[in-house]
Amino acid sequence: MGAGKPIEWIRCDESGREMVSRVLSGRPFIVPVPPLHRVPLRLGNIVEISGPSNSAKSQVLLQAVVHFILPKEWGGIQFGGLERKAVFFDLDCRFDVLRLSQFLTNRINETCGSISKAAFDKLFHSCMNRFLYVRCYSSYEFLSSLKELCYQIQRKDEAVGSGVHLLLIDSIGAFHWIDRSNQLRGVCKGKNISPQSFQEAIVHELHKLLLLQPLLVLATKASLFRTETPNEFQRSSISNISGERNLFFREYMPAVWQSFVTHRIQLHSPEWNLLDIVDDCACV
Amino acid sequence: MAAKAPLEEEDTKPQTLLLTGILSNTYRACINTAAPSTAQNPHVTEDFRLPWLTGMELLSDTNQNKHFLPTGLQGIDALLGGGLREGQMTEIVGPSSSGKTQVCLSSATYVVDKKFGAVLYLDTSNSFSPNRISRFVNQTHPSLPKEEKERRLQMIMSNIYCQSVFDIFSLLDLLHHVESTLKHTVKLGGSKLCLLIIDSVSSLIAPIIGGKNSQGWCMMASVGVLLKKIAYEHNISVLVTNHMVGGENGTLKPALGESWKCIPHVRLLLSCCIGANHSTATVLKHTLLASGRTANFVIHN
Repeated sequence: MGAGKPIEWIRCDESGREMVSRVLSGRPFIVPVPPLHRVPLRLGNIVEISGPSNSAKSQVLLQAVVHFILPKEWGGIQFGGLERKAVFFDLDCRFDVLRLSQFLTNRINETCGSISKAAFDKLFHSCMNRFLYVRCYSSYEFLSSLKELCYQIQRKDEAVGSGVHLLLIDSIGAFHWIDRSNQLRGVCKGKNISPQSFQEAIVHELHKLLLLQPLLVLATKASLFRTETPNEFQRSSISNISGERNLFFREYMPAVWQSFVTHRIQLHSPEWNLLDIVDDCACV
Repeated sequence: MAAKAPLEEEDTKPQTLLLTGILSNTYRACINTAAPSTAQNPHVTEDFRLPWLTGMELLSDTNQNKHFLPTGLQGIDALLGGGLREGQMTEIVGPSSSGKTQVCLSSATYVVDKKFGAVLYLDTSNSFSPNRISRFVNQTHPSLPKEEKERRLQMIMSNIYCQSVFDIFSLLDLLHHVESTLKHTVKLGGSKLCLLIIDSVSSLIAPIIGGKNSQGWCMMASVGVLLKKIAYEHNISVLVTNHMVGGENGTLKPALGESWKCIPHVRLLLSCCIGANHSTATVLKHTLLASGRTANFVIHN
C-alpha cells in the first residue's frame, strides 16, 4: 500500500486512448459540410472564414445552416442532416431569409424528388423553426444578445426541443471602425472602450458558452481593409505562396480574437482567376 | 415645386410616446401575428432586448412586409426580380451620364404614381429635377386629359420630399432624425414613407475617406448601419448612387470601393454605349439572384 501510493500518484489520470474516446464522444467530428469538407471540424471549434466581398462567405454559412437544420432521416428519406439548431448573429444586416428558404427548398426537392405539399410544408416548417436569427446594430447589442443566448435557447427549446450546435456570426468585424473611432473620441467618460476590450468581452462570452455546451462557431470576416493595392510583382507572389496571402489583407481583428480562432479559412472571389471557391479552402 | 421640407411636418404624434413605455416589454416577435400597421409600432424598436426570430417568423415577416418596389424601368425590374426590395439597400454605380439620377427620378415617380407610398429624396449634387418628373408623368400617361394630368402631377409632387444635403454631418443628422420620426409616426405627410433615395451618397462619403484618419471610415460605416436599420425596421427601400472615378491603368472604378462594397445588399452597374439609345444594367451583387446578369433599359427623353 505504502509503495503503491507514489506510483498511483505518478500514474496518469487517463491514457491517450481514453482521452481521445472521451473527447470524441463529447465533442464529435461533425459530418462535413460540403464546402468545408476538407477541414475536419469538431464541435467546440471556432472557424473564421475570411475573404473579400463576392467570395461566397455568406453562402458557406448558409450551406452550413441547411446542413445543421435538416433532419438525418425524415419519413424514410435520408437527408443526412444533423437536426440541430443554428443561431445566426447578423451584424452586417444583410441576411436574406428568402435565400435560405430557396436553398432549403432546393435541398429538400433534390433529395426526395416528389413529395406532397403537406409533407413538404411540415418538413420545411420544422427545419426553419430550428433556425434562430438575431440582428445587431452595434457591438453593445451583439454583446447583450450573446449574454441572452442561453435564456433564449431555453425559451425556444420548449417549443422545438433540440440543442444548438451551430453559432454563426456574419461578420465579426462589422463594427470595427465604429468602435475604433469611439475609442479615439473617448465617448465614454473616464473609461475608454477600445475594440480590443469589446473583442475581449465577446471572446469571453463565447468561451463561457462553449464551456456550457459544445458549439461549432463559424464567423465570417470581410478582408477588405487593404493598406495598398499590390503591384504586379506582389500580386504574382501572392497567388503563388499561400502563406503570403495574409500579408495582403491587413489583419484588423485584435490578438484576443486571433488566438481564440481554431481554424482560419480563406476564400477568394472568382475574379482572382484562381481555382474555384470550393477548392480554395486552405486551412492555416 | 416639390421641395417641401420633409421632416418639419406637423403630424408627428407625440402621444404614441406614452404607449411606448407601456408596450416596451412586448417582444418584436409579435410582428408576425399583429396586423401590418402595428408592425411599425414604436415599441418594436424601443425594446432594449433584441428580437429573436425563428426562420419561419422571419420568412412570414418578409413575405408580409417586404415587398418589391418597381422602378418603372422594365429591364431593371426584371433584373432585380421585381424591383427594389423593401428592407434592403440597393446601390447604383456607374460612370457619369450613365443614367443613375434618371433611374432615381424614374423610380421616385413610379412608386408615388402607383401609390406605394411617399418618397424621401436626399439630393447631394443638386440633380433633382421637377421638370424631369413632370416629363416622366407625361410619358406614362399620354392619353389623360390635361386637367387629370395636372392633378396627378400635383399628387406625385406632393409625395416626393426633396432635401438637399451637402455634407456627411447633415446626412447623419438627417438620417437620425428620419429614424426617430419613423419610430414614432407611421406616416409621413399622409402616406407611408417607402423609398429613401440618396443621389449620390458617394459625393458625401468619398471626400472623407482615405489617409490614416479612421474617422472617415467610421462615418461611412455609421451611414451604412443607419440606412440598413431604417430600411429593415420600417420596411423602406433605400436607393443610393455611387459615381465612378478613374483608377489605375485608366480604368473606371466606383468612388466607394472595396470597403463600401460589403454594405449594400444589391449593387447594380449602369453603363451606356455611345450611339445606342439604351443603357445596360449589370447585377454585380445580389442577395438572392445570381450576379453577372445584364439587361438593357431605355430612359425616354
